[in-house]
Amino acid sequence: MDVFILLLEGIFVSFEPLNLGLLIFGCLIGLFVGAMPGLGSVNGVAILIPITFIIPPTAAIIFLAAVYYGAMYGGAISSVMLGIPGASTAVATVFDGRPLAVKGEAMTALTAAAVGSFVGGTVSVILFTLFAPPLAEVALRFNAPETFALMVMAFATFVGLGGDDVPKTIFSILIGLALSTIGLDLITGKPRLIFFNIPGFLHGINFLVLAIGIYGIGEMLWTLEETKGKVQMSKLSVNMKEVGRAFGALKKTIMAMNIGSFLGFFVGILPAAGATPASLMSYGITKQLSKNSKEFGSGVPAGVVAPECANNSASTGSMLPMLTLGIPGSPTTAILLGGMILWGLTPGPLLFTQEPEFVWGLIGSLYIANFFTLVLNIALIPAFLMVLRIPFAILAPVIFVLCVTGGYAPTQSLHDVWLMLLFGFAGYILRKLDYPVAPAVLSIVLGPLAEKALRQSLILSDGSMGIFFDMAEKPIAAIIMYIAIVLLIMPAFGPLYRKFFKKAQTT
Amino acid sequence: MSVTNKITVKRAEIAVAVILALCSIALMIKSAENRITWNAEENMGAGFLPFYLSLGMLICTVLTIIKFVLKRSPQSKDNSPFIEAEAFKYIAVTIISLIILVLAIGYLGIYFSLIFFLAFYLRYFSSKSVLFISVFSLITPVLTFLFFEWLLKIPLPQGISEPLFYPVYDFMYS
Repeated sequence: MDVFILLLEGIFVSFEPLNLGLLIFGCLIGLFVGAMPGLGSVNGVAILIPITFIIPPTAAIIFLAAVYYGAMYGGAISSVMLGIPGASTAVATVFDGRPLAVKGEAMTALTAAAVGSFVGGTVSVILFTLFAPPLAEVALRFNAPETFALMVMAFATFVGLGGDDVPKTIFSILIGLALSTIGLDLITGKPRLIFFNIPGFLHGINFLVLAIGIYGIGEMLWTLEETKGKVQMSKLSVNMKEVGRAFGALKKTIMAMNIGSFLGFFVGILPAAGATPASLMSYGITKQLSKNSKEFGSGVPAGVVAPECANNSASTGSMLPMLTLGIPGSPTTAILLGGMILWGLTPGPLLFTQEPEFVWGLIGSLYIANFFTLVLNIALIPAFLMVLRIPFAILAPVIFVLCVTGGYAPTQSLHDVWLMLLFGFAGYILRKLDYPVAPAVLSIVLGPLAEKALRQSLILSDGSMGIFFDMAEKPIAAIIMYIAIVLLIMPAFGPLYRKFFKKAQTT
Repeated sequence: MSVTNKITVKRAEIAVAVILALCSIALMIKSAENRITWNAEENMGAGFLPFYLSLGMLICTVLTIIKFVLKRSPQSKDNSPFIEAEAFKYIAVTIISLIILVLAIGYLGIYFSLIFFLAFYLRYFSSKSVLFISVFSLITPVLTFLFFEWLLKIPLPQGISEPLFYPVYDFMYS
């Protein structure tokens, strides 16, 4: 009952004029950002975070969450109409969305994507409302050792479940952590890693500099290379008859909606996972379980609904560990978490007791944003198609302008703009060589928090690392640490498992 | 054989791994300027964490190099160009123009630098008319000014062009 009252209060908070205005604006920007090839929620949130400094934290999180949400919806538009995913989260949407558009059923694909996103978003936000308060209550009992163990587990998840090259993944985590140590040491106050005695390094490296560099500059370079500004748009006829027919086609997608919504939510909670693997897994499982699995890939609405449900559901799911444990569930939530620190908040379970308006305003806004995004998405399809016709050669410099100004604004230092460019170029090259970049962003956000928790724990234990593995004194920390170790060594068993499986098959 | 064909994925992989290994070593040396030891009496030295994180980075890059030598990574067998010739033009011009933009910001200020950057970029990559490019290149910095200086009250760097903005500030804050 308490949860229901708090949720109602949250919904009222999101209906306050400033919050509602920003929510609708955020949904619109999110739809736009998601629809543009090469831009996704993470790019939108990273580039837009500097403009939230003048508004209250609740309005800021509502705005950015709406951008996040809208981008999940918008990603499908370019997947269907151009055959280019608007973001990695919409890759799976291309598999059946594009063939539907080629067959002249683009409206069916877009409606399936919008309704799928709505269902996934609604189911996940209900699950979020139910799971968040009890999880936060448990997390309130966490001290420094448990917090540090959780962070180690977040890093380990990337290694165990990320599916990328293990040394490159660990390198990405470590470089993010190393970058987070630049500046003044929090215990001794001594300057660390001040290269060439440049004073700009004394204030450390703001996570935004890395995030905008990688997801703004780096991503645009990547997209420029991929598209070379050439896109081929499908034809679309928009009328009520088409929309009605499209809704009719959704009757056969109930199973896809269920799989996408629930799987998406739980995959979204995992730090290394997020919306992209959730949508791919949801597509794969729906295809496996479908009676018409052979038709997948040739243009079936269920093939659009499954990934779209999952990516929206995962985006909400990834906010659960961010709010309750202070651990982001995706690169976008890592940036949101960094934003909270910039706004003067302490991410984690204390938010539920100290900042209920912030937490419940955000949760309430997810319900409202879901509805508004569905309406705006379907109503503005013709407008988004016009936007998609903007040549990349015009869009790219505008994004670069936003990156340069966004990189400068937080600290008002050109030093940060240079660093941002450096990270952008490096991120582009590293990504081309399959170095995952998301772990670096997560690490630079979590780095200072992890270091503080580690050093506090070691002071508590008189310098003994045993505090993290003591089942009698710190059982939660120990269990989390053992899970982290299992995750870290898991990739080593991959080849053994494959070898055994192959042998079993041949015998 | 063009330059872009010579830089294959295979070559890029090993070159980047070696550069990252050298950067890791440089970070270790830099970290060692502070105390890198840790024990119960003295607690953790300021250089301890960055040193061992850099050591970890070095180990990872060495593993990447070993995988390359043993041909265990997909990149170690990939002889395709790292960047296609057509795309290389886009990437190279973009990177150089961005570097010149940031250099110019320090001297000319952001607004005038943006005008030149946008005019150049659009003229080079798009087939838009001179009128469109001129209007677009002028309007974007104006909107940037209004957004940051008027709405957010965040001053952006103005370099030698700063005196030109005094009348605008007088008007805005009068």
